[in-house]
Formats: sequence, structure tokens, C-alpha cells
Amino acid sequence: MAHNERDTVPLNQSSQSDIDEIENLINYSVQSTVLPAQPPSPPRASIPVSSSPFIQSSLPPPPQKPAFVAPAVPPPVSNRSSNGQQQPSSMTGFGSPPNTLTEPVWDTVKRDLSRIVSNLKLVVFPNPFREDPGKALRDWDLWGPFFFIVFLGLTLSWSASVKKSEVFAVAFALLATGAVILTLNVLLLGGHIIFFQSLSLLGYCLFPLDVGALICMLKDNVILKIVVVCVTLAWSSWAAYPFISMAVNPRRKALALYPVLLMYVSVGFLIIAID
Amino acid sequence: MDLNPPPGENYANPRICFFHVLFKAGALAFYILSALFFDSFVIIFVVTVLLSALDFWVVKNVSGRILVGLRWWNEIDDDGESVWKFECLDQESLARMNKKDSWLFWWTLYLTAVIWIFFGIFSLIRFQADYLLVVGVCLTLSIANIVGFTKCRKVTSILSGLCDAKKQIQQFASQTIANRFSSTIQSAFSAV
Repeated sequence: MAHNERDTVPLNQSSQSDIDEIENLINYSVQSTVLPAQPPSPPRASIPVSSSPFIQSSLPPPPQKPAFVAPAVPPPVSNRSSNGQQQPSSMTGFGSPPNTLTEPVWDTVKRDLSRIVSNLKLVVFPNPFREDPGKALRDWDLWGPFFFIVFLGLTLSWSASVKKSEVFAVAFALLATGAVILTLNVLLLGGHIIFFQSLSLLGYCLFPLDVGALICMLKDNVILKIVVVCVTLAWSSWAAYPFISMAVNPRRKALALYPVLLMYVSVGFLIIAID
Repeated sequence: MDLNPPPGENYANPRICFFHVLFKAGALAFYILSALFFDSFVIIFVVTVLLSALDFWVVKNVSGRILVGLRWWNEIDDDGESVWKFECLDQESLARMNKKDSWLFWWTLYLTAVIWIFFGIFSLIRFQADYLLVVGVCLTLSIANIVGFTKCRKVTSILSGLCDAKKQIQQFASQTIANRFSSTIQSAFSAV
């Protein structure tokens, strides 16, 4: 569940400026014992006296924040590890009041709903961002996949005339564990994909199969079912293809894609076979 | 953590507290009572998991913010790495949080997870795999919230430590400046 809005950006900046403040206070108090008291220099602006604006030197003015560097104060915003280790960042204690913390509830609901819709459009429908999968599903969320999996299970269960509960449980368990295992498969093949992003993606790609299952539930003709399932299967696979294939080594593309297609084909069979 | 609510104050946000407890209690109650009324597992599953998911959303986005002033989420940055973000209100607002609200928040959070664990053990004993699935999903949601908010709370205590450090440094620096200034003036006067 990601929030990508602008109002977290000022928080980071304010936290960074607070670190600057602390650094400057330390350095200033250290400096003042050595030199006679001078007005505090602007933070991070090193204006070496010798350089003149007219000299085009090949070296950029030395990035000496000479006296201003304080390695002793470790800023909390650093060392992002790839496992998504927790970072104590975006503290809001010193700047403006946090917008996401004090926004009304209705805003949160609207924001989450619009995120589901935009994620759906990004994944399932043609759009310019498909070339860059990392950027496309940046704001992953698991609500969309949750609704789609439950909906698919309900539709299948509804279409079944006997053993409704088992059909639902099997469908749900198959889809949920299938998504997890497929993600692990990509990760184990050395692919670069975030766990939750991939779960989110595989869930959203179920949308065409949901539509297919709904149509098959309403009309009971076998030929129609086969056609509809084939079309929606192709659509689902087309939706999932760029994200998975970009995530892994080109030589291992087939190894990563094949299980995904297999899972969608088995769901398709489930839809056709239910009566 | 004490067993009794802190005396004196009343709940500052009774409606939010109500909703915070409502979905949790609803999911648990439905799970327990449904076996008596409904024959179909599908309805039990869907309604319980839906209530649990709603509870997860309410706790993460609403009651966490309002009752204890904490929030956590995950972002993917430009490098494609996943970053967990934790956010808290500033120190003054945190100090002003109602104690009863936060007592209720934390207690119900932990209690729900414990109860789900018990149900999980029951269904394990009875070899009911499908009920185990329901319990598993609800437990995952509860634990996710617990882990998120506990980490948030730890971050808050680290940050409050930094806050105090900053105040101390400010005091020290201003004192040093004052001393420096006065000694400069003294030396200036003495030189004259």
C-alpha cells in the first residue's frame, strides 16, 4: 500500500533541513571556540574566497563543505537496503503539520479507490507506461487483487451446481498461493521485482478472467465459453507479459513466463469445466 | 501495559474507537456464530475476510492516525527499491494524545491477534482446512498491522530521542554563543 503523493515530499525536506540545522549547530559551536565570533554562514554554501566568477576553471569550486560536514550526525535517511528494511524517515516533528496524518477519512477512501482504478488501467489496458514496468506499478496495492480474486471465486462458486463451498475455497487458495509461488519463482530466477508489486500485478491481471467468468456464468453455451475463455486468457497473458519479462534475465524469460501462463490456463479450464 | 484503562479522561474520539473495535468484533463474532446459522462455507469465508480486510484498512488509515498519531506504508523509490515509511505526529501533538484512546488501540490490536491464533489452533485440531484458511487470512492481516504499528512506535521513540538531542544541542549552542559574545564585547571594551 503505497502513498505517492506530493505531501510527503516536504516532510523529507524538512527532516533533511533539521539534520542540517543540527549539523550547523554542532559545527558552529565547535567553530566558535577557534575563531572570533562571526555571523553564522549560510548552510551548505561554501563560497571559497579565492574563486572569482570570471575564471573558468576546469575544476568545479571544491565541494568543500569543509567545516560544515559533520559525519558524527548520521542522518536517518540513508542506507536503503534492497529487502525493504524499515527506514525511520519522513518524520514530521519539525516542519508543517503532516497532511496525510490529519486528512479527513473521506480523502483517504477516495485516494485508495482512485489508486485501484489507475493501477487497473495501467496493468490491463494499453498505455504508454507498459514499456517501463517498474514505473507503472509504483503505487502497488493489494485491494484490487483481493477484490478480483474474491470475485472470481464467487463467480465460479455461483456457476457450480454442486460443491459450491469447495469450488470457492479451491479457487481462492489456488489463486492466492499461485500468486505467491509465481513471485517466488521470479525472485529465485534472479529477477528484480518487489514481492508485493508482483503479487499486485498478478492479481490485477486476473481482471480479464473475471470478466470471462462472469460472461460464462450468464450464458451456458460451451462453444461460447471456450471462445470467451480463450480471448480473456490471451488478454491476461498479454497484460502480465511485459512486467514479468522485464524483470528477469532475457535467457530466463520463458522460465518465468511459463508458470504464469500455466496458472491462467488452469483457471480458464476451471471456468469452462464448471457447470 | 496495565489491564485497566487509565482513569480520569474520557475517550477523545469515541466514534473512531467504536469503528476500530466494530470490524474486529464483527469478524470474530461472525466467524463464531455463523457456524450455527449458515450452512455455506463461502458466505462465512467472504464475510469474515471482508470484515477483516475492512478492519485492516480502518486501523491502518483511520484509527492509527487519529488515536495514536502513527502511520506506516510502503513506497517504491526511483531505483525500484521498496522502502517502508513510518510517520508520526510531532512531539507536542503526541503528548496531547488521549491515553485512553491509545490504551484501547493497542489492547484490541494485540487481543484480536491472540484470539485468531486460538481459533487457528482449534481448526487445526479439528482438521478443518478451509476454516484454517479463513483464520490464516485474518491472522495475516492482524499481524501486518501489529508489526507496522510497533515498528512505528519504536521509530517514534528514536525520533523523540533525536528531538531531545536537538533541544539540548540548541541550548548548548546558544549558551556557547552567548558566552562568546560577552567575552568578545569584554575584550573589545578592554582594548579600547
